Amino acid sequence: MKKPIEKETRAYMTGNEVVAWAALAAQADIMYGYPITPQNEIMHYWTRLAPQFEREFLQTEDEASAGFTTLGGVMAGRRSFTGTSGPGHMIMQEAMCMAEMMRLPLVSIIQQRGGPSTATVIYSQQESTLACYGGNGEGFRVVYSTCNHQELFDYTIKAFNTAWKHFFPVFVLGDGYQAKMREPVTLYDPEARGVQMIPTKPLLGLPGTPGVDRDPAQLRNTYNTEEELFAVVEDLRKAYEEIVPQVAEYQTYDCDDCEYLIIAHGVVTRTAQEAVKNLRAKGIKAGHFRPVTLRPLAADALLPIACRAKKILVAESALGQVKRMITDGIYGCTTPIETLYKPGEGIYTEEIEAKVLAMAKGE
Amino acid sequence: MSKTVKIAIAGEGGQGVQAIAKILTEAAYGEGKEVLYIPNFGVEQRGGVSVAFVQISPEKISALKFQKADTVIALSARAVRRTMQYVDENSIFIYDSSIEGVAEEVAELQNTAKKVLSIPALQIVSEELHPRVFNMLIMGAVIGATKVVSLDGAYAALEHNLGAKFQKDPSLRDMNRNAIQRGYDLIEL
Repeated sequence: MKKPIEKETRAYMTGNEVVAWAALAAQADIMYGYPITPQNEIMHYWTRLAPQFEREFLQTEDEASAGFTTLGGVMAGRRSFTGTSGPGHMIMQEAMCMAEMMRLPLVSIIQQRGGPSTATVIYSQQESTLACYGGNGEGFRVVYSTCNHQELFDYTIKAFNTAWKHFFPVFVLGDGYQAKMREPVTLYDPEARGVQMIPTKPLLGLPGTPGVDRDPAQLRNTYNTEEELFAVVEDLRKAYEEIVPQVAEYQTYDCDDCEYLIIAHGVVTRTAQEAVKNLRAKGIKAGHFRPVTLRPLAADALLPIACRAKKILVAESALGQVKRMITDGIYGCTTPIETLYKPGEGIYTEEIEAKVLAMAKGE
Repeated sequence: MSKTVKIAIAGEGGQGVQAIAKILTEAAYGEGKEVLYIPNFGVEQRGGVSVAFVQISPEKISALKFQKADTVIALSARAVRRTMQYVDENSIFIYDSSIEGVAEEVAELQNTAKKVLSIPALQIVSEELHPRVFNMLIMGAVIGATKVVSLDGAYAALEHNLGAKFQKDPSLRDMNRNAIQRGYDLIEL
């Protein structure tokens, strides 16, 4: 098959276009999707590019169908993915929970828009809870929260490998800003950088007679007794807990001696790090901790940094969705936590700076 | 402290605001600068105010949003009202002279902005060029006000975006370039 990216290329494009290129580079076979802003152009670019590289696309009748057809693709052993946003993300949760239950390597790109409900098509961080703990699942998922185009590219590729290595659903959690904005990015072939794509395999329709030549491939999401279900969920929990140390990712910025710890994820990372730089220039020992995976949260890494700090500020474009995960993750830490919440709206550097300055003054 | 140039361009949907931002930032990217461009519009298919937030810098750009812009360009009355919030004592505010009903806003801007410029962009394109190159004249004015890219850089990006159309009708190339040059010359700071 012709390689979509022969040599490293610097490009200037939208985030949705970056995702389409990343999926191509990751050897994705097929995308299933249903249009919703601000995710649409992932589909648009994919449908434009896919035929040139013998890849496929199926537009379904709605997001429920897009989710389930993606699972079908995965069961057939095809590297499959979908993308959605906001209300579509809600509708797709049923399939996402099925992926948790059946250990299906589903990959979804989420470009968060404003909520609740239809709200705006612009931007938010209000789909964190949904991505991490949506539906009637137990959060057996991996959620990467990206902050720039390079990460959209890197983590879309990584999402396929995490999914096919661990067999849990994997989300790349972007947002409307990342989807629509343009900034430079370096596109590359993962294999040229030593990243091997994990081979996919069919999960159903295997050769041989079940029970004679091989074990039956039993993919179940329905159980008859409470005890039976409990045992299954316990197995899922154990399997998930085992992968936590391998998949939990975080980033620290000036955290070694920091007194005022800013916790922010996604694009707010960029604002937080600029604020840290400006605050340090004013003599305030600020630092930034960024959960790269919102689920699982790198709580073990965060706890000592949080406990050492004088005060913590959680900044997010939502009303405390990630803050709740943080407080749960660092339970027992007595450092006071303040918040800067702007649900559905971007956060300015000046706002974080002013808040930390006020905290430092004891206001 | 930051050498990042921050620009907000706003107009009615269809006035070509996003095309200006796309071509301008492509020109800057082509000249090796760091760029970040975020389009902003609502759910409506047409009839809303469309805003483009642009940052151009020699260094990597961190925060996505900015509170105050170095240059703000507003192409309609609603766009003037919408973008006043991005103006402070370091900002240059540019608006089209044909916009009506914003006398109060302009008076207020004259107190807050470093400079307020009214340019007869619509009049020039209607009388001397063609209404279709209105946005390219505005892009020329943005370049004149900010000097973030060279005119040659802008022409190269223009070629990249509209080259196919220019091949069919080479007179379009001259018309667009003239509009950019005319807009550029309108700005005297």
